[in-house]
Amino acid sequence: MWFGHKVALTELSCSFGPGVTGLLGPNGAGKTTLMRAITGLLPLNDGIVRVLGRDPHRDRDVQRAVALVPEDEAVPPALTARRLVRYTAALHRVDDATLPERCLAAVGLTDVADRKVGGFSKGMRQRAKIAAALVTRPQVLVLDEPLNGADPVQRVALIDLFHALGDQGHTVIVSSHVLHEVERLASRQIVVIRGRLAAAGEHHAIRDGLAERPRSVMVRTPQARALAARLVGLDVVRGVTVDGHSLVVSSLRAGELAELLPRAARDAGARLVEVRPLDDSLESVFRELLQ
Amino acid sequence: MAVLGYTLRACLPARRWWGVLLPCLGAVLFGWLTTVADTTTQRAFAFVAEQGLFGLVMPLTCLVIGDAVLAADRRAGTFAFTWLSPVSFATIVVGRWLGGWIVALVTVVPALVLATVVAGVPEGLVAMAVAAGAGSAAYIALFVMLGVTTRRSAVWALAVVFLGERLLGEALSGIAQVSPMWEAQQVYAGLADDAGGWRLVRDGTPQGWAAVARLTTIVIVTLAVSTWRLGHLRPTGGDE
Repeated sequence: MWFGHKVALTELSCSFGPGVTGLLGPNGAGKTTLMRAITGLLPLNDGIVRVLGRDPHRDRDVQRAVALVPEDEAVPPALTARRLVRYTAALHRVDDATLPERCLAAVGLTDVADRKVGGFSKGMRQRAKIAAALVTRPQVLVLDEPLNGADPVQRVALIDLFHALGDQGHTVIVSSHVLHEVERLASRQIVVIRGRLAAAGEHHAIRDGLAERPRSVMVRTPQARALAARLVGLDVVRGVTVDGHSLVVSSLRAGELAELLPRAARDAGARLVEVRPLDDSLESVFRELLQ
Repeated sequence: MAVLGYTLRACLPARRWWGVLLPCLGAVLFGWLTTVADTTTQRAFAFVAEQGLFGLVMPLTCLVIGDAVLAADRRAGTFAFTWLSPVSFATIVVGRWLGGWIVALVTVVPALVLATVVAGVPEGLVAMAVAAGAGSAAYIALFVMLGVTTRRSAVWALAVVFLGERLLGEALSGIAQVSPMWEAQQVYAGLADDAGGWRLVRDGTPQGWAAVARLTTIVIVTLAVSTWRLGHLRPTGGDE
C-alpha cells in the first residue's frame, strides 16, 4: 500500500477475530491506513483484504457488517447528533426505531442529541461517531483512537462498552497511542511499525518472544548494596543499578533469576520488601519492539 | 431518501446559502438592467440572458450547489459516513445530484424566471423556466462528476465554465453541443422564439426540446461516469 513514493504498509499479514484487538504503533506507522483498508475505504495497491471472506472495497454488501470510527474530527457540522445517528441507521436500513436512541444513550449523548455536532468538543464528536457506528449493528467495529478527547469517566464507560461488544462476539479493532488503555482494552495486540507487522498476539506472549532482550526486575530491600554485590557475580545477571533502597536487575534469563534471587538475598542477608518486573507492561514491550 | 435528506440538510450550510442566493439576486438585477437599456426590451433581454443569466448566474450558482453536494463533503472528510454503507454508488450519486437539483429548482430557476418578468418579457417565462431547470440539472451533474474525478474540483469547475464553455465554446460548435451553458441558452432560443429568443439561436446546435434532450443526455452520462468513478475513489479527508 503506498501513497506516491511513500510506502504506508508492506509485508503485513494479520487476521482479526471476535473480541477486542488492540492496534499499536507510533505515529505514521500505518495504523490508520490499515484500518481504512480493512473497512474498504482505501483500495490496496497490492495485496488482499478480506472481511467475512469478501473484498470490503468492491463488495458493497460487506459494508452491512463493518463500521469505522475514524480518528479525524470530521463530522457533518450542520447535523445534530441524533440526525447523524439516524442518517447512518437509514443508510443501513435499520428498522428498529429505538436503536438510535439506545446508541446515543450508550455513549452518553442523550442530553445533547439535538445539538449540532459542529459545536461539539473533540470527545463528544468521537462519541457521536461511535454512536453512528454502533447503530449499524456491525459485526466488525474498527475504532481509530476512539478515546481521544474523552474525560476519565467517559473513557471507563467506553472501554466497558468495547469489552461488552467483544464479549458478545463482535470483532472490535481499537487503535490508541495511550498504551495503558490498550492494555486495559485488549488482551490481544497487533503492533505495526513503519508499515510492517512487528508483533501480534497477547502482550505477555509478545514480551516472552523478545527473549534475546534483557528483562528488568526492580527489587526493594534495605540492604540494596549488599544484594547488588551478590547479584553481579551471577551468570544470569547482565547488570545491576542501585538507587537508595531499591535496585534494578537486568537479565536475559528472567526465569532463572527468579529462582536465584531469594538465595542471593539470603546469602547477602537482605530482606526482600518488593520484587516487581519493570518491563512486563505493554509500553515496555512496544518500546523494545520499536528499538 | 436518506441520501437525499442528508444532501439537503448537511451539504448546504449557511455560508453556502449566501453563495447561492447572492448570484440569484444578481439575476434579478440583470433583469432590471434590461429595462434601463437604450434599446428594445427583447433585444436587451436577449443580450442580458446570454451574457448574464446563462453565461454567469446559472453556472456560478450551480457551481456553488454542485460543489457542495459531493466535492465539499469529500474534502471535509465527511463523505466516509455515506461511502461506508451498503447503499449502491448509483443511489449515492443520484441522491446527491437530486438534492442539488432540488436546491437549484427553488433558487436559480425562480431567480431566472423573476429576472425575465422584471425585464418585461413575460412571454419568455415558461421557456426560461424550462431552460433554467434543464441547464441547472446538467450543470449540477457535471459538477458532481468533477467532484469525484478531480482533487481541486472547484478550480476545475471554474476552468470548465470560463475556459471550456465561454472561451472555447464560443469558437467551437462541438464544445457548445455538450455545454450546459450553450444548450440551456438554446433551450430558451428554441422555446421563446416570440420573446426574442431567436436572437440567441446558434446554428449547428439543437434548440428547444431537442436541446432539453441533449441536456438530459449530459445528465445521464455525467452521472454514469460519477457512479463508475465512485467505485475507484479514496473517499478520505484532507489528511491523506
